Amino acid sequence: MIKNYFKIAWRNLIKNRVYSFINISGLSLGLACAMLIILYVKDEVSYDRFHEDGEHIYRIVSQNYNESGVPEGKNSSTGFLQGPRFTEDIPEIKEYVRIQSGREDVKIGGEVVSRDLHYVDPNFFSMFTFPVISGNPKTCLSEPFSVVISEELALRQFGTTNAVGKTMMFRNNGEFVPYTVTAVSQKSPQNSSIKFDMLLPLEIPKEDLANNFNWFNFFLNTFVSLKPGANVDVVNDKMQDLYLAQSSDAAKIIKEQYGDDGLPPKYFLQPFTDMHLNKELPAQNGLTDASNPTFSYILSGIALFILLIACINFVNLTVARSVRRSQEIGIRKVVGGKRRQLVFQFLGESFMLCFFAFAMAILLVQLALPIFNGLANKQLSISFVLDAKLALGYITLFVITGLLAGFYPALILSRYSPVDTLYSRFILSGKNYLQKSLVVLQFTLASLLIICTFVIYEQFNFLTTQELGYDDTDLVLLQKNRLTPDELDTFKGRLASYGNILDVAGKNGGGWSTIAKVEGDKQVQFAYETVNQSYIPILGIQLKAGRNFSDEHPSDATQSVLVNEAFVKEAGWSDAVGQTVDFWYNGEKYTVIGVVKDYHYDSLGQTIRPQLFTMKPTNELGMLYIKIAPRSATSAIADIEKVFKEMFPFDPYSYHFLEDQNYQSYEAEAKWKQIMLFSAILTIFISCIGLFGLSVLSAEKRTREIGIRKVLGASINNVVAILSKDFIKLVLVALLISIPVAWTIANKWLENYPYRIQLGWQVFAIASILVILIALSTISFQSIRAAVANPSDSLKTQ
Amino acid sequence: MLLQLNNIFKWVNSGGQRIFLLKDINLEVEEGEFISIMGPSGSGKSTLLNVIGMLDAFDEGEYNFLDESVHDLKEKHRANLYKEYIGFVFQSYHLLDELTVQENLEMPLIYKKFKGSERKAMVADMLDRFSIVGKKDLFPAQLSGGQQQLVGIARALISNPKLILADEPTGNLNSKQGEEIMELFKQLNEEGVTIIQVTHSEKNAEYGSRIINLLDGRMV
Repeated sequence: MIKNYFKIAWRNLIKNRVYSFINISGLSLGLACAMLIILYVKDEVSYDRFHEDGEHIYRIVSQNYNESGVPEGKNSSTGFLQGPRFTEDIPEIKEYVRIQSGREDVKIGGEVVSRDLHYVDPNFFSMFTFPVISGNPKTCLSEPFSVVISEELALRQFGTTNAVGKTMMFRNNGEFVPYTVTAVSQKSPQNSSIKFDMLLPLEIPKEDLANNFNWFNFFLNTFVSLKPGANVDVVNDKMQDLYLAQSSDAAKIIKEQYGDDGLPPKYFLQPFTDMHLNKELPAQNGLTDASNPTFSYILSGIALFILLIACINFVNLTVARSVRRSQEIGIRKVVGGKRRQLVFQFLGESFMLCFFAFAMAILLVQLALPIFNGLANKQLSISFVLDAKLALGYITLFVITGLLAGFYPALILSRYSPVDTLYSRFILSGKNYLQKSLVVLQFTLASLLIICTFVIYEQFNFLTTQELGYDDTDLVLLQKNRLTPDELDTFKGRLASYGNILDVAGKNGGGWSTIAKVEGDKQVQFAYETVNQSYIPILGIQLKAGRNFSDEHPSDATQSVLVNEAFVKEAGWSDAVGQTVDFWYNGEKYTVIGVVKDYHYDSLGQTIRPQLFTMKPTNELGMLYIKIAPRSATSAIADIEKVFKEMFPFDPYSYHFLEDQNYQSYEAEAKWKQIMLFSAILTIFISCIGLFGLSVLSAEKRTREIGIRKVLGASINNVVAILSKDFIKLVLVALLISIPVAWTIANKWLENYPYRIQLGWQVFAIASILVILIALSTISFQSIRAAVANPSDSLKTQ
Repeated sequence: MLLQLNNIFKWVNSGGQRIFLLKDINLEVEEGEFISIMGPSGSGKSTLLNVIGMLDAFDEGEYNFLDESVHDLKEKHRANLYKEYIGFVFQSYHLLDELTVQENLEMPLIYKKFKGSERKAMVADMLDRFSIVGKKDLFPAQLSGGQQQLVGIARALISNPKLILADEPTGNLNSKQGEEIMELFKQLNEEGVTIIQVTHSEKNAEYGSRIINLLDGRMV
């Protein structure tokens, strides 16, 4: 019996190629999307679950409170003390490991490069499960000047993974000193929040460990593992008690000095596996891949959309085609087929189509995986054959899709009465609301995604082309740690002899932020920028009042600051120049000599916050801004590299263009843009092939009507209009539904941006016209074919 | 007695009026009879055949088939009854285009859950009996009308029905093919199969042992 079903299913498949193609291609696209997302989500939830003792590992984190006791943000970082002090006095804690991120200059090959690395406690490998290829994991981090490297780095550096005992040169207080490789570990898994290339032993001076002020420094991650059976709540309480007891003296002194009125934070344990998708306590500070679960939700939603649309195609086409198959159903019933047997037969056919779609989807996933990995920032691979859970997920997907697509048509088809179908009395109910509403649903989803894509494109365009308030063209950024003003002058002087270098400025590396008092006791928090006098002119930042730093005023370095408009507003000054900024905690006072016009020093995703510029000589500069002549990038870069390497042979050389860097700060938006574009194209494509199928069937059903109309004098245009009208009506209804929904969603999304486009009617109009045009061309393809057909042929067949 | 119809009425309502398709039909059929139903278009021949075949319901009257009261049976039981005892032959053959001759013959047996080996034997037997062994792997579209109808009859016979209902079995055939089919029916009837056929042709009607004339749903 099964064999017979399959035979029929197969022959039907071959015979109705267009229909099969539409169903299989649509379904396989839908399935491929769903499979990719399953792969993605599975990876997301599998983060950090590979550690053998993982269920007992926690991170020490804390909850902050403001002065009135209202919770105010959480802190995922800790300092030196939390790990050892808690472990010492709380018996439930088995051990602790601190992980501090760092960046050191290291000689790799002949080059000096700056590399991210981690300082960890010696028992790192006993708490975490990272297989070691060579070396002893128990002792490899116990001696100073040891380094554990990944197999990747070992291969690159030494050409072999057998690198134990070899040495690497690290910069240590300015000098390069040898470190001994004590172990080589396997590459960190893709789904690990801890990813490392180099591990160095974390060494903390004894006096730091004794100093209770260190309770108030937060800069590393502390992990603890609990003994089996330990109660987390009990440990949380014990930690808090210990913290309060040991930190109270230091807290009192700090309060007197800084007047900080906040309540003490509350310590607690965060499960290790909870980190990856936790927005409040993310994997940061040397931990990597922190992810936003929203991303998973939205991607899953889109995949579900696409799969749903493909299934709708299936249902609609199968039901619409049932007119043709009604006779077969009648015959089968007359010769003895029971309804149940027919249901199974049709379900079998759906499953067969689904199976082909499934096989094709696997191919598609293989093809699309590199693109998807790029979009999702992952290194996923389709190794699900080896992964029982994933395979189970895919089989479930397959079964659900088969049922979803096949069950309804099977029920409908098997219901037909044999007399009606065999005597051609059979008419599929003219209204067919289900088919219509499914088409509306498809096009609602498709239009929704198209409108959203337009909005994202427009906003992205706005973000990347908006006036920033400064000129980021032809600006090369060069990193140079601990740059002194003298070095900067020499560097500038040497470069000045090259014609394509226009100017050089210096600024502190990274983004600093601090507070100061104005108008007596008012505190202002601001971005704290250390620059030299050429910084403002080189960026073309405009001055609103006063003057820039100048060599003519030697006291500028120690007495003067510039502020931006946002600072002036925050301070409440009417005339800023001449006002005083009081850094009360170190006793320094500065006079404002100028006000710069607000410019977007952060991405446009941020409002412009108060900003203050100083030339304080003891602040280190870390970044060189070099303005080059237009269209001279290649030669200018070569010149800069030459001078840099002459002057700083032991510093890593890496440059980038400010324009590129600004563009990159919209990476997230760029990704969303691409994801939305892909999904919009996919949904409209699948919806349209469904529509195409329906128009084919509808034209077929109305062959006679068209023939009669043509005999009576209808023109081709009349006929095309008649055939297209009904479908276009559905698309219009879909647009009517999707526009307000899209409007709401788009506005909600845009609210995330302080600087955003105004949603005008144009976006909706253009998107609507596009959707209608696409639908129209899909339908008219078939309508025209039906309309130009010779009526004598169509009438004869009846 | 094979079946008995007592005062059968069937009607449809159209525009507030009751239009009778069958009016007061009384008919007894003995096993081994060969009955021809005749009448002009729209006289209710096919409707009567479908009522007898239990494909169509009736509105009033009694219908007994092999001591079962069809009018009291539920839809499902009625369907089981006709599937077991009645074979249908249609004017347009109604073979499944996607299946070969052999597979078309096999289909009723599959639904009746015969084992694979039994099915093979029964199909081979039938192919042999109708001398269409050479055509067993062809699809209906590759056969002439007469050959298709032959397959249609073979399919109706394969599960050994007590009654064959044929709705204008020669309507789509030329006269020579028609004659062959009628000869076949005659031969089957002689072998003991009860046959009721609907026909327009006096000549075909003559093959039967009894002729029933219908006019406007009434036996005349």
